[in-house]
Amino acid sequence: MSAGLPTHVPVAGFAVLRDGGVLSSVGLGSCVAIMLHDPEAKVGAMAHVLLPHESLSLDRTKPAKFASTATPFLVDEMRRYGAGSRIVARIVGGASMFGPLLGSGVNMGERNIVAVREGLERAGIPLLAEDVGGDYGRSVFFDVATGAVRVVSMRHGEHAL
Amino acid sequence: MQELLTLRPEQLDALREVANIGAGHAATALSQMTGQTIMISVPTINITPLEDVPPHIGDPGEPVAAVLMQMQGDLSGRTLLVFPQGTAIRLAEIMMKRPHPGGVDLSELEQSAIKEAGNILSGAYMNALSDFMGLKLLPSPPSLAMDMSQAVLTTAYLQFGSDRDLVFCVETEFVMQDAGEKLRGFFLLLPDVSSLRAILRAMRLD
Repeated sequence: MSAGLPTHVPVAGFAVLRDGGVLSSVGLGSCVAIMLHDPEAKVGAMAHVLLPHESLSLDRTKPAKFASTATPFLVDEMRRYGAGSRIVARIVGGASMFGPLLGSGVNMGERNIVAVREGLERAGIPLLAEDVGGDYGRSVFFDVATGAVRVVSMRHGEHAL
Repeated sequence: MQELLTLRPEQLDALREVANIGAGHAATALSQMTGQTIMISVPTINITPLEDVPPHIGDPGEPVAAVLMQMQGDLSGRTLLVFPQGTAIRLAEIMMKRPHPGGVDLSELEQSAIKEAGNILSGAYMNALSDFMGLKLLPSPPSLAMDMSQAVLTTAYLQFGSDRDLVFCVETEFVMQDAGEKLRGFFLLLPDVSSLRAILRAMRLD
């Protein structure tokens, strides 16, 4: 992992880095972190997706907030940093917490996962790896130089994706 | 949903008052349960997009124990009781009159104790609301999550009932003075928007 503090990506936020550095999202519950990587250009981007679709929000000014808009938005941002067409994706998050109370309610984690996968498919970006679902929160650290992703949770400790 | 942003000052005051009555009863229940003096803050109301809700707990990765309950009946919504992990452990020790067996995790028994604390607090809160407004409220059984604070809170704001991302939440802080150490917890009332209208109607402020 690169030295230095990770660049924190807050809920509904995004960040792009080139050459090196680590992007992180801490405490993903039903949210999904989309991590896009161009290994040749060494450009990496992360979005912290909160909702599956922008129609669920009054505020449409943050494309990284929605699974439906995050992927094309990140790709555009990465292009500005010199990314080409060899972009690959990894996704983490989408948990369903408080399981017993969920019942027939809205499972936002699952909906986020499905919508993120659809967004990637529409953009023609292959999904290399994922650590999604379950009933526990995750934090994620994405090394932009190598594309390596570490997932940390209270329940299962730390592992490489 | 937009109407949340146009609540009048007297309506917000009324909602704070409702929360204050609920939290007062909850604090009394917690005090009886622990034999400690409990202080509560003036309730604050957050009406913001989810990503802008001010953090209750500094570090989004900090472990917390959170008890979520559904509210049914004349009002629908959720209540959430959040303790930092250390506070949860101490509270369990006080409730069960036995020391924590060690380690950072809560034992099965301690988890039950925290769930019961949530049950009693939310029950007292909902009963007070119910008496005050003349509405029938039925609490669900409690559900406990122990996880990173951000994961727990975001999910509680978002997961249930509403599809929307505008959070309406009335929050009260509990402080317990324990041998010079301050133990803090947060109680969040998350009514559905339709229930907000019902509360205001019950107070003749719609």
